[in-house]
Amino acid sequence: MSCERALEVQAYVDGELDAAASLAIERHLAGCAECRELRAQLQELRTAMTKHARYERPEPEFRGRIEAAITREGAPKRVKSPAFWRGALSGAVATAMAATIALFVFLPSPSDRMADDIAAAHLRSLVGNHLIDVASSNHHVVKPWFAGRADIAPPVSDFAQQGFQLAGGRIDFVNGRRAAVIVYRHGGHVVNVFAWRDDGTVRPGAHRVNGYQLLSWKEDGLVLCAVSDMAPGELRTLSDLIRKES
Amino acid sequence: MDDRRRRFEQLVLPHLDAAYNLARWLAATDADDVVQDAMLRAFRAFDGFRGADARPWLLAIVRNCHYTAASRRAKRKIVPLPEGDELPTDAPDPEASAIEADEARRLNQAIKALPDEFREALVLREMENMSYRQIAEVTGAPMGTVMSRLARARSLLRESWRLEVKEAAR
Repeated sequence: MSCERALEVQAYVDGELDAAASLAIERHLAGCAECRELRAQLQELRTAMTKHARYERPEPEFRGRIEAAITREGAPKRVKSPAFWRGALSGAVATAMAATIALFVFLPSPSDRMADDIAAAHLRSLVGNHLIDVASSNHHVVKPWFAGRADIAPPVSDFAQQGFQLAGGRIDFVNGRRAAVIVYRHGGHVVNVFAWRDDGTVRPGAHRVNGYQLLSWKEDGLVLCAVSDMAPGELRTLSDLIRKES
Repeated sequence: MDDRRRRFEQLVLPHLDAAYNLARWLAATDADDVVQDAMLRAFRAFDGFRGADARPWLLAIVRNCHYTAASRRAKRKIVPLPEGDELPTDAPDPEASAIEADEARRLNQAIKALPDEFREALVLREMENMSYRQIAEVTGAPMGTVMSRLARARSLLRESWRLEVKEAAR
């Protein structure tokens, strides 16, 4: 393959090009038979790999072995009980505790209208076209934008390095009151971080509403609530980042 | 269970299959040991993990464990068991036609025959659906190198695959 744009064609087939670059390479493809042939070959190969390439999975008991090895690694060294019971007990206790924690953290509290309201606002922002009022990955642009529009100065930072890219901000209404919303993108997920002045009516915690994860906390006289369809752990990572930053 | 362990189970353990798949395609015979070693290292190093997506981070550790073990073996002049068909070969699927099964076998053989750095890029792209940036993160190579390795991997794969198709047709 000698056309100098071969790598771009590959990037196009791999979905690595943005809209403008895709358009440019599509125009090139229309006039370059060599690159059209390359595209066809790449697609053929992808089809064959999807169909036939073998994804290797471990034996079902492998995961248990790994977990046991990690338990041994993390177990306090001074515990003197026999290894077998230690392993068996820690497994049982761990399972029981995990179940308790999951219930405690994710059980939706029906009284919490705020959580429902935020989940609804999140959904609205995704299906409508009002996700972002000010679109920028630069916090020096987004942060000043809130001045004069919100009665608070929410924490705004870009965490692109850690996988959470600042996408912009908007003003939204939650429970009848004005909230500043900072929008992040994480892979294909959108995260809305709502912020409003703490009036003591909301307790921080984690919720799950209609499949969305909500995680709220308080800092500097504000209530912040992150909501997304990401895994709870990922949401927590973002909230840790925001808290560390402010 | 402490918070650290719980976070590890939430963020890292779900990628065990990905770790195992990569290890199998890199190491063939001692994939189990490589993955266990990698998981323990990941757990020890977990406090230093500051990202959102643990998959590239974990796979980078798997890859390092594999290459460390391989070079240790080379230094001690331990000759690994003859590879033979140790690397992935498709188990016969009664549903699939003989031609389909044959095509699958040929493709997997061709992937297996690729040089390491091409094979790993291809596995990460096609089986893990990773972006160029993530592949760069796992392999420690610049993006440009990732792109050219992928291009090379695919053209080699195509050549050997086509050759086999011709031989099979004979």
